[in-house]
Amino acid sequence: MIAANDPDNESTQAYLPDFCAASTLFIIVLVAELIAIMLTLASHDAEHQFLIELSETSFFVLWIALLGTALMCQLTSYLEAAGQTRAFVMSFVVLELTCLVVAESAWQLTRIFGQSLIIEDAHTKFLLRTMAINSIVMALAMRYLYISSEWRRSIVLEAQARISALQALIRPHFLFNSMNTIASLTRTDPRRAEEAIEDLSDLLRANLGNATNRSSLKQELETAAIYQRIEKLRLGDRLNVRWDVAALPMRARIPSLTIQPLLENAIYHGIELLPDGGEVTVTGTRDGDHLEITISNPVPIGEKRNTGGNKMAMSNIRQRFELAYGSKGSVNIDDAGDRFTVSLRFPLDEGEDEE
Amino acid sequence: MKVLVVDDEQPARARLRQLLDDEESYEYVGEAGNGKDAVLLSAELRPDIVLLDIRMPGLDGIETAHHLNMQDNPPAIVFTTAYDEYAIDAFDARAIGYVLKPVRRAKLTAALEQASRLAPSTLISVASQANMSVARKHVCSRSQTELKLIPVTEISCFRADQKYVTVYHDSGQDLIDDSLRALVDEFSDDFVRIHRSALVAVARIDRIEKTDDGKSRVVLRDKSQVDDEELIISRRHLAEVRRRLKGV
Repeated sequence: MIAANDPDNESTQAYLPDFCAASTLFIIVLVAELIAIMLTLASHDAEHQFLIELSETSFFVLWIALLGTALMCQLTSYLEAAGQTRAFVMSFVVLELTCLVVAESAWQLTRIFGQSLIIEDAHTKFLLRTMAINSIVMALAMRYLYISSEWRRSIVLEAQARISALQALIRPHFLFNSMNTIASLTRTDPRRAEEAIEDLSDLLRANLGNATNRSSLKQELETAAIYQRIEKLRLGDRLNVRWDVAALPMRARIPSLTIQPLLENAIYHGIELLPDGGEVTVTGTRDGDHLEITISNPVPIGEKRNTGGNKMAMSNIRQRFELAYGSKGSVNIDDAGDRFTVSLRFPLDEGEDEE
Repeated sequence: MKVLVVDDEQPARARLRQLLDDEESYEYVGEAGNGKDAVLLSAELRPDIVLLDIRMPGLDGIETAHHLNMQDNPPAIVFTTAYDEYAIDAFDARAIGYVLKPVRRAKLTAALEQASRLAPSTLISVASQANMSVARKHVCSRSQTELKLIPVTEISCFRADQKYVTVYHDSGQDLIDDSLRALVDEFSDDFVRIHRSALVAVARIDRIEKTDDGKSRVVLRDKSQVDDEELIISRRHLAEVRRRLKGV
């Protein structure tokens, strides 16, 4: 779970159970026995042979189960590294091969040591029958493991989103600078100081709200505009923002606190570093049932960029987009040349608004 | 005590001025909105103390402090910052005076009272701890009448005479006070030493050519600036120059 909190390292999340654990082994033995009982119930021909047939079937099934478990215990770390789909496909192949080997061995042993209750067919027929049963059981097991791994994954994602939402809170840098601006304005321009305090309060209120919720585009843009007003007091003519968002339906839903943090990034990593400032552009376009919002800012040329904080803000918004939209939404970054551009693309959802 | 206020944000400067105006023993003498103006204004107004914002576009606070230090009788420096945990740790570790924004009157006067001059080595260690660039982005040249900041990106060559170092840059040449030795250390990323007394910008080197008497010479992209005689590579430095040119 610790590794799963690291956004760059999502692949380390376990898809497969820990086959080396005693509890897993116990469950596998239990399931193997249940399957053996099921098979025996389905096939036995006379009452008195039931227990003998069961013991032989159990013996056979347990061999497959235990050998498979031992192999999986050795291979898990390797399979996990291959990614989810491959991990499942490769486990399936490994377990099928295990089954084939055990069935073949059983056949050969029977041939050497005499007849058996459960092996009556011809060689190929026996192998095929065993493989078919094994495939069905494996397919069910894989499906179960897949669902439970997806379920764990969604829990992890949700937890990450909550953490991200906390991280999305306003930078202390901004807060203290704003306070300093207000302290200065209280003497020179009390009216603007008053407005600044009101704006700052609204912004803090928006930040303290439940940030895992979605809000309307209208609210998001308002929060960003308030943020811009406060920064404008501090940066003066150096800060210009061009809003080109008329094409966006204002009722559309969007994860809350996405636009304001991106505007904050644009100012902190762009405008503030430029002696003459510059223009941030926020552009919204609608493309069928998808919306795209692009935020672009100039950056100083030729300076080594310290993108530490930037990366955190970006991975944070990525995570919340992934949770909200899965593969239907995307966050793209273009930092070529002298501008830094972030594009958010997400499906239009006009949901019932309370307004 | 004369105090110069340096901050890129107007309200922040206004705030410091308000606080200084209330104090009898400190006199606000002026303000600058960027590091370059600060250096020029400091040379002109000769403040005792400079209140210096760390995070500024262009010349940041630490680099500005470097240049202020190079003046005769340099001013003491008190840094100001809203929030910069690495820089604050660095200041605390070296007992460097700073005030946090929003600036509190009592903290400001205490910092002004304790303000002291900062050694260049202190500034370098602060810069590296605060994740800021250690090398300056400008060098500073002074004559009796004027003070000039030359962007390092415009410099093709530093050459040392007996006493001074000459900087060859896009708009001419100037004398600076830095020692070549210190420049070698500071700008080793972008400059290479070609002989005992010359340091050349790697990006400005076009190629190496052989002279008639079998020596090697650096050819600059912009040939006009430096005497050919000065660009002979000493045998000791030839391998290093070749290596740097290959970008290894």
